[in-house]
Amino acid sequence: MNELMIEASGLSRRFGTTDVLTSVDLAIPRGTVVGLLGTNGCGKSTLIKCLLGLLRVSGGTARMFDEDPWDLSGAAKARLGYVPQDVKLYPWMTVTQVISYTAAFYPTWDFALTEHLVQQWDLPRDRRAGPLSPGQIQKLGLILALGHRPELLILDEPVASLDPVARREFLKSLLEVTQDEKHTVLFSTHITSDLERVASHVAILKQGKVELFEDLDTVKDRIKRLRISAIEPLPRSFAVEGALRTEIEGRVALVAATNVSEQMVSDLRARWQAEVTVEDLNLEEIFLELHR
Amino acid sequence: MSNLPIQFEIHPSSGVPIFRQIMDQVRAQVASGRLKPGDLVPSVRQMAVDLQVNMMTVSKAYSRLEAEGLLERDRGTGMRVRGQVEHLGSVTNRQAELRDLVDHVATRGLQLGLTDEQIISVVKTVLKERRS
Repeated sequence: MNELMIEASGLSRRFGTTDVLTSVDLAIPRGTVVGLLGTNGCGKSTLIKCLLGLLRVSGGTARMFDEDPWDLSGAAKARLGYVPQDVKLYPWMTVTQVISYTAAFYPTWDFALTEHLVQQWDLPRDRRAGPLSPGQIQKLGLILALGHRPELLILDEPVASLDPVARREFLKSLLEVTQDEKHTVLFSTHITSDLERVASHVAILKQGKVELFEDLDTVKDRIKRLRISAIEPLPRSFAVEGALRTEIEGRVALVAATNVSEQMVSDLRARWQAEVTVEDLNLEEIFLELHR
Repeated sequence: MSNLPIQFEIHPSSGVPIFRQIMDQVRAQVASGRLKPGDLVPSVRQMAVDLQVNMMTVSKAYSRLEAEGLLERDRGTGMRVRGQVEHLGSVTNRQAELRDLVDHVATRGLQLGLTDEQIISVVKTVLKERRS
Protein backbone atom coordinates (compact mmCIF):
# COMPACT_ATOMS: atom_id res chain seq x y z
CA MET A 1 0.00 0.00 0.00
CA ASN A 2 2.88 2.35 0.69
CA GLU A 3 4.58 1.75 -2.61
CA LEU A 4 4.71 5.12 -4.37
CA MET A 5 3.46 5.30 -7.94
CA ILE A 6 4.21 8.98 -8.39
CA GLU A 7 6.54 11.23 -6.48
CA ALA A 8 7.33 14.90 -7.01
CA SER A 9 9.62 16.93 -4.85
CA GLY A 10 10.25 20.63 -5.23
CA LEU A 11 9.05 20.26 -8.81
CA SER A 12 8.98 23.53 -10.74
CA ARG A 13 8.18 24.47 -14.30
CA ARG A 14 8.65 27.82 -15.96
CA PHE A 15 7.37 28.98 -19.35
CA GLY A 16 9.53 31.92 -20.43
CA THR A 17 9.34 34.26 -17.48
CA THR A 18 6.15 32.78 -16.03
CA ASP A 19 6.48 30.38 -13.12
CA VAL A 20 3.55 27.99 -13.45
CA LEU A 21 4.71 25.46 -10.88
CA THR A 22 6.97 26.80 -8.16
CA SER A 23 7.53 23.88 -5.80
CA VAL A 24 5.26 20.86 -6.02
CA ASP A 25 5.58 18.07 -3.46
CA LEU A 26 3.35 15.09 -4.01
CA ALA A 27 3.60 11.37 -3.19
CA ILE A 28 0.86 9.12 -4.51
CA PRO A 29 0.71 5.60 -3.06
CA ARG A 30 -0.64 2.57 -4.89
CA GLY A 31 -4.39 1.96 -4.67
CA THR A 32 -5.48 5.58 -4.30
CA VAL A 33 -7.84 7.50 -6.55
CA VAL A 34 -6.55 11.06 -6.48
CA GLY A 35 -8.53 14.05 -7.69
CA LEU A 36 -6.28 16.96 -8.65
CA LEU A 37 -8.23 20.15 -8.10
CA GLY A 38 -7.35 23.71 -9.02
CA THR A 39 -8.64 26.87 -10.66
CA ASN A 40 -8.39 27.37 -14.40
CA GLY A 41 -4.84 27.89 -15.51
CA CYS A 42 -3.29 26.96 -12.16
CA GLY A 43 -1.06 24.36 -13.79
CA LYS A 44 -2.93 21.05 -13.45
CA SER A 45 -2.14 19.95 -17.00
CA THR A 46 1.44 21.21 -16.72
CA LEU A 47 1.93 19.14 -13.57
CA ILE A 48 0.45 16.04 -15.23
CA LYS A 49 2.70 16.52 -18.25
CA CYS A 50 5.77 16.93 -16.06
CA LEU A 51 4.87 13.73 -14.19
CA LEU A 52 4.41 11.89 -17.49
CA GLY A 53 7.62 13.18 -19.00
CA LEU A 54 5.79 15.08 -21.74
CA LEU A 55 7.31 18.28 -20.38
CA ARG A 56 10.72 18.68 -18.85
CA VAL A 57 10.81 20.00 -15.28
CA SER A 58 12.62 23.31 -14.73
CA GLY A 59 13.70 22.28 -11.22
CA GLY A 60 13.17 19.65 -8.56
CA THR A 61 12.38 16.05 -9.35
CA ALA A 62 9.55 13.93 -10.68
CA ARG A 63 9.44 10.15 -10.36
CA MET A 64 7.04 7.63 -11.81
CA PHE A 65 7.36 3.96 -10.82
CA ASP A 66 10.62 5.17 -9.30
CA GLU A 67 11.99 6.13 -12.70
CA ASP A 68 12.71 9.50 -14.28
CA PRO A 69 9.61 10.26 -16.39
CA TRP A 70 11.73 12.06 -18.99
CA ASP A 71 13.48 8.77 -19.68
CA LEU A 72 10.77 6.23 -18.91
CA SER A 73 11.53 2.60 -19.75
CA GLY A 74 9.27 0.59 -22.02
CA ALA A 75 8.34 -1.62 -19.07
CA ALA A 76 7.16 1.43 -17.13
CA LYS A 77 5.17 2.75 -20.10
CA ALA A 78 3.38 -0.59 -20.30
CA ARG A 79 2.13 -0.03 -16.74
CA LEU A 80 0.80 3.43 -17.53
CA GLY A 81 -2.42 4.64 -19.16
CA TYR A 82 -3.01 8.30 -20.04
CA VAL A 83 -6.00 10.15 -21.43
CA PRO A 84 -5.12 13.72 -22.41
CA GLN A 85 -7.53 16.63 -22.15
CA ASP A 86 -8.07 16.57 -25.92
CA VAL A 87 -8.06 13.01 -27.16
CA LYS A 88 -6.46 13.01 -30.61
CA LEU A 89 -7.48 10.17 -32.88
CA TYR A 90 -6.93 9.41 -36.52
CA PRO A 91 -10.26 10.66 -37.86
CA TRP A 92 -10.31 8.36 -40.88
CA MET A 93 -10.04 5.16 -38.83
CA THR A 94 -13.10 3.35 -37.55
CA VAL A 95 -13.50 2.66 -33.83
CA THR A 96 -12.37 -0.96 -34.36
CA GLN A 97 -9.37 0.16 -36.41
CA VAL A 98 -8.24 2.73 -33.85
CA ILE A 99 -8.31 0.03 -31.20
CA SER A 100 -6.32 -2.52 -33.23
CA TYR A 101 -3.85 0.18 -34.27
CA THR A 102 -3.20 1.14 -30.64
CA ALA A 103 -3.13 -2.52 -29.54
CA ALA A 104 -0.26 -3.17 -31.95
CA PHE A 105 2.02 -0.99 -29.80
CA TYR A 106 1.59 -3.21 -26.75
CA PRO A 107 2.92 -6.73 -26.25
CA THR A 108 -0.11 -7.60 -24.16
CA TRP A 109 -3.52 -6.23 -25.06
CA ASP A 110 -6.79 -7.35 -23.53
CA PHE A 111 -9.11 -7.47 -26.55
CA ALA A 112 -11.83 -9.09 -24.45
CA LEU A 113 -11.80 -6.04 -22.14
CA THR A 114 -11.83 -3.46 -24.92
CA GLU A 115 -14.58 -5.38 -26.75
CA HIS A 116 -16.62 -5.48 -23.54
CA LEU A 117 -16.19 -1.74 -22.97
CA VAL A 118 -17.08 -0.85 -26.56
CA GLN A 119 -20.29 -2.81 -26.13
CA GLN A 120 -21.06 -1.47 -22.66
CA TRP A 121 -20.49 2.14 -23.70
CA ASP A 122 -22.39 1.64 -26.89
CA LEU A 123 -19.68 2.89 -29.24
CA PRO A 124 -20.36 2.41 -32.97
CA ARG A 125 -17.65 -0.07 -34.04
CA ASP A 126 -17.72 0.68 -37.77
CA ARG A 127 -18.16 4.43 -37.56
CA ARG A 128 -15.12 6.58 -38.27
CA ALA A 129 -13.57 8.33 -35.27
CA GLY A 130 -13.74 11.79 -36.90
CA PRO A 131 -17.44 12.55 -36.44
CA LEU A 132 -17.84 10.96 -32.98
CA SER A 133 -19.30 13.17 -30.25
CA PRO A 134 -16.96 14.57 -27.55
CA GLY A 135 -18.41 12.07 -25.08
CA GLN A 136 -17.79 9.15 -27.39
CA ILE A 137 -14.25 10.31 -28.12
CA GLN A 138 -13.58 10.66 -24.40
CA LYS A 139 -14.82 7.11 -23.83
CA LEU A 140 -12.78 5.75 -26.73
CA GLY A 141 -9.75 7.54 -25.29
CA LEU A 142 -10.32 5.77 -21.98
CA ILE A 143 -10.71 2.39 -23.71
CA LEU A 144 -7.40 2.96 -25.51
CA ALA A 145 -5.76 3.84 -22.19
CA LEU A 146 -7.17 0.76 -20.45
CA GLY A 147 -6.57 -1.90 -23.12
CA HIS A 148 -3.15 -2.93 -21.86
CA ARG A 149 -4.49 -3.07 -18.28
CA PRO A 150 -2.28 -0.33 -16.81
CA GLU A 151 -1.75 -0.14 -13.06
CA LEU A 152 -1.63 3.65 -13.15
CA LEU A 153 -4.23 5.69 -14.99
CA ILE A 154 -3.80 9.41 -15.52
CA LEU A 155 -6.74 11.44 -16.80
CA ASP A 156 -6.54 15.14 -17.61
CA GLU A 157 -10.00 16.72 -17.22
CA PRO A 158 -11.73 13.50 -18.29
CA VAL A 159 -15.26 14.82 -18.01
CA ALA A 160 -14.89 18.49 -18.91
CA SER A 161 -16.59 18.14 -22.28
CA LEU A 162 -19.39 15.82 -21.15
CA ASP A 163 -22.98 16.61 -20.24
CA PRO A 164 -24.18 15.55 -16.74
CA VAL A 165 -25.67 12.26 -17.96
CA ALA A 166 -22.57 11.28 -19.90
CA ARG A 167 -20.40 12.44 -16.99
CA ARG A 168 -22.14 10.17 -14.51
CA GLU A 169 -22.00 7.25 -16.92
CA PHE A 170 -18.34 7.83 -17.53
CA LEU A 171 -17.54 8.01 -13.82
CA LYS A 172 -19.55 4.89 -13.13
CA SER A 173 -17.59 2.99 -15.78
CA LEU A 174 -14.34 4.36 -14.47
CA LEU A 175 -15.23 3.13 -10.99
CA GLU A 176 -16.15 -0.31 -12.28
CA VAL A 177 -12.93 -0.72 -14.20
CA THR A 178 -10.58 0.61 -11.56
CA GLN A 179 -12.24 -0.68 -8.41
CA ASP A 180 -9.54 -2.63 -6.66
CA GLU A 181 -6.49 -2.02 -4.57
CA LYS A 182 -4.04 -2.54 -7.44
CA HIS A 183 -5.19 0.37 -9.55
CA THR A 184 -4.08 3.92 -8.97
CA VAL A 185 -5.84 6.82 -10.66
CA LEU A 186 -4.86 10.47 -10.90
CA PHE A 187 -7.42 12.74 -12.52
CA SER A 188 -7.58 16.49 -12.78
CA THR A 189 -10.86 18.36 -12.63
CA HIS A 190 -12.47 21.55 -11.49
CA ILE A 191 -15.81 19.85 -10.86
CA THR A 192 -15.75 19.12 -7.15
CA SER A 193 -18.90 16.97 -7.06
CA ASP A 194 -17.37 14.37 -9.39
CA LEU A 195 -14.28 14.24 -7.30
CA GLU A 196 -16.28 13.75 -4.09
CA ARG A 197 -17.93 10.68 -5.52
CA VAL A 198 -14.98 8.76 -6.87
CA ALA A 199 -11.81 10.04 -5.23
CA SER A 200 -10.19 8.61 -2.13
CA HIS A 201 -7.76 11.52 -1.95
CA VAL A 202 -7.77 15.14 -3.00
CA ALA A 203 -4.81 17.26 -4.05
CA ILE A 204 -5.37 20.99 -4.31
CA LEU A 205 -3.00 22.92 -6.52
CA LYS A 206 -2.67 26.60 -5.71
CA GLN A 207 -0.10 29.19 -6.68
CA GLY A 208 2.27 26.63 -8.13
CA LYS A 209 2.23 24.34 -5.10
CA VAL A 210 0.20 21.46 -3.76
CA GLU A 211 -1.55 23.29 -0.95
CA LEU A 212 -3.24 20.20 0.42
CA PHE A 213 -2.97 16.47 -0.28
CA GLU A 214 -5.00 14.23 1.94
CA ASP A 215 -7.61 11.56 2.34
CA LEU A 216 -10.89 13.20 1.31
CA ASP A 217 -12.75 12.00 4.42
CA THR A 218 -10.08 13.43 6.68
CA VAL A 219 -10.29 16.76 4.87
CA LYS A 220 -14.05 16.91 5.44
CA ASP A 221 -13.65 15.82 9.05
CA ARG A 222 -11.12 18.48 9.98
CA ILE A 223 -11.97 21.59 7.91
CA LYS A 224 -15.13 23.16 9.32
CA ARG A 225 -16.84 26.50 9.65
CA LEU A 226 -17.63 27.72 13.15
CA ARG A 227 -20.40 30.12 14.01
CA ILE A 228 -19.57 31.63 17.34
CA SER A 229 -22.02 33.69 19.31
CA ALA A 230 -20.51 34.97 22.54
CA ILE A 231 -22.16 36.56 25.53
CA GLU A 232 -20.12 39.75 25.13
CA PRO A 233 -18.57 41.51 22.10
CA LEU A 234 -15.52 39.67 20.84
CA PRO A 235 -12.20 41.57 20.88
CA ARG A 236 -10.42 42.43 17.62
CA SER A 237 -7.71 40.02 18.68
CA PHE A 238 -10.12 37.09 18.69
CA ALA A 239 -8.42 34.27 16.85
CA VAL A 240 -8.92 30.57 16.35
CA GLU A 241 -5.99 28.25 15.71
CA GLY A 242 -5.62 27.23 12.08
CA ALA A 243 -8.13 29.81 10.85
CA LEU A 244 -8.39 30.28 7.10
CA ARG A 245 -10.75 33.18 7.48
CA THR A 246 -12.17 35.07 10.45
CA GLU A 247 -15.03 37.53 10.34
CA ILE A 248 -15.98 39.30 13.54
CA GLU A 249 -19.08 41.41 14.05
CA GLY A 250 -19.79 42.35 17.62
CA ARG A 251 -20.66 39.23 19.60
CA VAL A 252 -20.68 37.02 16.54
CA ALA A 253 -17.81 35.49 14.61
CA LEU A 254 -17.61 33.29 11.56
CA VAL A 255 -14.43 31.27 11.29
CA ALA A 256 -13.29 28.64 8.81
CA ALA A 257 -10.56 26.59 10.41
CA THR A 258 -8.38 23.70 9.32
CA ASN A 259 -8.15 21.56 12.45
CA VAL A 260 -11.47 21.65 14.20
CA SER A 261 -11.80 19.17 17.06
CA GLU A 262 -14.37 18.62 19.80
CA GLN A 263 -11.79 19.83 22.29
CA MET A 264 -11.36 23.08 20.37
CA VAL A 265 -15.10 23.65 20.27
CA SER A 266 -15.60 23.07 23.98
CA ASP A 267 -12.64 25.32 24.78
CA LEU A 268 -14.22 28.08 22.70
CA ARG A 269 -17.56 27.59 24.45
CA ALA A 270 -15.97 27.76 27.88
CA ARG A 271 -13.56 30.62 27.19
CA TRP A 272 -16.00 33.03 25.52
CA GLN A 273 -19.24 31.82 27.13
CA ALA A 274 -20.29 31.28 23.56
CA GLU A 275 -22.68 29.22 21.60
CA VAL A 276 -20.69 27.48 18.90
CA THR A 277 -22.18 25.68 15.94
CA VAL A 278 -19.99 23.59 13.71
CA GLU A 279 -20.89 23.55 10.03
CA ASP A 280 -19.78 20.73 7.78
CA LEU A 281 -18.28 21.94 4.52
CA ASN A 282 -18.41 20.14 1.24
CA LEU A 283 -15.43 20.09 -1.05
CA GLU A 284 -16.58 23.07 -3.09
CA GLU A 285 -16.91 25.18 0.06
CA ILE A 286 -13.53 23.98 1.33
CA PHE A 287 -12.00 24.83 -2.01
CA LEU A 288 -13.51 28.32 -1.87
CA GLU A 289 -12.35 28.87 1.73
CA LEU A 290 -8.83 27.94 0.65
CA HIS A 291 -8.98 30.51 -2.16
CA ARG A 292 -10.24 33.51 -0.22
CA MET B 1 -32.40 -11.67 3.84
CA SER B 2 -30.05 -9.36 2.03
CA ASN B 3 -30.49 -5.64 2.25
CA LEU B 4 -30.36 -3.59 -0.95
CA PRO B 5 -28.14 -0.58 -1.60
CA ILE B 6 -31.19 1.17 -2.99
CA GLN B 7 -32.25 1.78 0.62
CA PHE B 8 -29.24 3.99 1.13
CA GLU B 9 -29.26 7.62 0.17
CA ILE B 10 -25.85 9.16 -0.31
CA HIS B 11 -25.10 12.82 -0.87
CA PRO B 12 -21.51 13.04 -2.08
CA SER B 13 -21.58 16.83 -2.02
CA SER B 14 -22.55 17.01 1.62
CA GLY B 15 -19.97 18.17 4.12
CA VAL B 16 -20.37 14.85 5.91
CA PRO B 17 -17.88 12.30 4.56
CA ILE B 18 -19.60 9.56 2.55
CA PHE B 19 -18.38 6.80 4.86
CA ARG B 20 -20.07 8.56 7.81
CA GLN B 21 -23.30 8.86 5.85
CA ILE B 22 -23.23 5.11 5.24
CA MET B 23 -22.46 4.42 8.90
CA ASP B 24 -25.31 6.66 10.07
CA GLN B 25 -27.77 4.98 7.75
CA VAL B 26 -26.78 1.46 8.76
CA ARG B 27 -27.16 2.51 12.41
CA ALA B 28 -30.54 4.10 11.71
CA GLN B 29 -31.78 1.00 9.89
CA VAL B 30 -30.71 -1.20 12.77
CA ALA B 31 -32.32 1.15 15.30
CA SER B 32 -35.60 1.22 13.37
CA GLY B 33 -35.58 -2.56 13.05
CA ARG B 34 -35.45 -2.49 9.28
CA LEU B 35 -32.16 -4.36 9.58
CA LYS B 36 -32.46 -7.22 12.06
CA PRO B 37 -29.76 -9.19 13.84
CA GLY B 38 -28.34 -11.72 11.40
CA ASP B 39 -29.29 -9.70 8.29
CA LEU B 40 -26.62 -9.28 5.64
CA VAL B 41 -25.72 -5.76 4.58
CA PRO B 42 -25.01 -5.26 0.84
CA SER B 43 -21.54 -6.31 -0.27
CA VAL B 44 -18.88 -3.62 -0.51
CA ARG B 45 -18.71 -3.99 -4.26
CA GLN B 46 -22.47 -3.92 -4.75
CA MET B 47 -22.78 -0.78 -2.61
CA ALA B 48 -19.90 0.95 -4.39
CA VAL B 49 -21.24 0.24 -7.86
CA ASP B 50 -24.87 1.05 -7.08
CA LEU B 51 -24.20 4.20 -5.09
CA GLN B 52 -21.40 5.12 -7.51
CA VAL B 53 -18.85 5.74 -4.83
CA ASN B 54 -15.33 4.54 -4.21
CA MET B 55 -15.12 0.98 -2.86
CA MET B 56 -12.66 2.01 -0.16
CA THR B 57 -15.26 4.41 1.20
CA VAL B 58 -17.77 1.62 1.71
CA SER B 59 -15.25 -0.73 3.22
CA LYS B 60 -14.10 2.00 5.59
CA ALA B 61 -17.70 2.45 6.80
CA TYR B 62 -18.15 -1.30 7.32
CA SER B 63 -14.84 -1.74 9.12
CA ARG B 64 -15.70 1.03 11.54
CA LEU B 65 -19.14 -0.45 12.20
CA GLU B 66 -17.43 -3.77 12.78
CA ALA B 67 -15.04 -2.13 15.24
CA GLU B 68 -18.05 -0.58 17.00
CA GLY B 69 -19.58 -4.03 17.24
CA LEU B 70 -22.66 -3.30 15.16
CA LEU B 71 -21.64 -5.55 12.27
CA GLU B 72 -19.68 -8.78 12.20
CA ARG B 73 -17.77 -10.36 9.36
CA ASP B 74 -19.24 -13.68 8.31
CA ARG B 75 -16.51 -15.46 6.41
CA GLY B 76 -17.57 -16.21 2.87
CA THR B 77 -20.91 -14.42 2.98
CA GLY B 78 -20.19 -10.84 3.98
CA MET B 79 -21.10 -8.54 6.82
CA ARG B 80 -24.02 -9.27 9.13
CA VAL B 81 -25.80 -7.27 11.79
CA ARG B 82 -24.74 -8.56 15.20
CA GLY B 83 -27.10 -10.13 17.67
CA GLN B 84 -26.72 -8.26 20.94
CA VAL B 85 -27.24 -4.64 21.76
CA GLU B 86 -23.76 -4.48 23.27
CA HIS B 87 -22.79 -2.43 20.21
CA LEU B 88 -24.07 0.57 22.09
CA GLY B 89 -20.92 0.45 24.20
CA SER B 90 -20.51 0.97 27.91
CA VAL B 91 -22.53 3.53 29.84
CA THR B 92 -19.41 5.71 30.04
CA ASN B 93 -19.03 5.62 26.25
CA ARG B 94 -22.64 6.46 25.68
CA GLN B 95 -22.46 9.33 28.17
CA ALA B 96 -19.37 10.62 26.40
CA GLU B 97 -21.33 10.66 23.17
CA LEU B 98 -24.00 12.82 24.79
CA ARG B 99 -21.54 15.23 26.41
CA ASP B 100 -21.10 17.52 23.45
CA LEU B 101 -24.83 18.15 23.13
CA VAL B 102 -25.17 18.78 26.83
CA ASP B 103 -22.26 21.21 26.67
CA HIS B 104 -24.32 23.18 24.20
CA VAL B 105 -27.38 23.12 26.47
CA ALA B 106 -25.31 24.25 29.46
CA THR B 107 -23.85 27.22 27.59
CA ARG B 108 -27.21 28.41 26.35
CA GLY B 109 -28.78 27.87 29.76
CA LEU B 110 -26.11 29.96 31.46
CA GLN B 111 -26.45 32.67 28.80
CA LEU B 112 -30.15 32.82 29.62
CA GLY B 113 -29.21 33.34 33.25
CA LEU B 114 -30.71 30.06 34.53
CA THR B 115 -29.37 28.27 37.59
CA ASP B 116 -28.02 24.71 37.48
CA GLU B 117 -31.21 23.39 39.08
CA GLN B 118 -33.40 25.27 36.60
CA ILE B 119 -31.47 23.81 33.65
CA ILE B 120 -31.66 20.28 35.04
CA SER B 121 -35.38 20.70 35.65
CA VAL B 122 -35.90 21.52 31.95
CA VAL B 123 -34.03 18.34 30.98
CA LYS B 124 -36.18 16.33 33.40
CA THR B 125 -39.38 17.80 31.98
CA VAL B 126 -38.33 16.92 28.42
CA LEU B 127 -37.52 13.36 29.49
CA LYS B 128 -40.88 13.02 31.27
CA GLU B 129 -42.75 14.19 28.17
CA ARG B 130 -40.78 11.71 26.05
CA ARG B 131 -41.66 8.78 28.31
CA SER B 132 -45.37 9.49 28.54
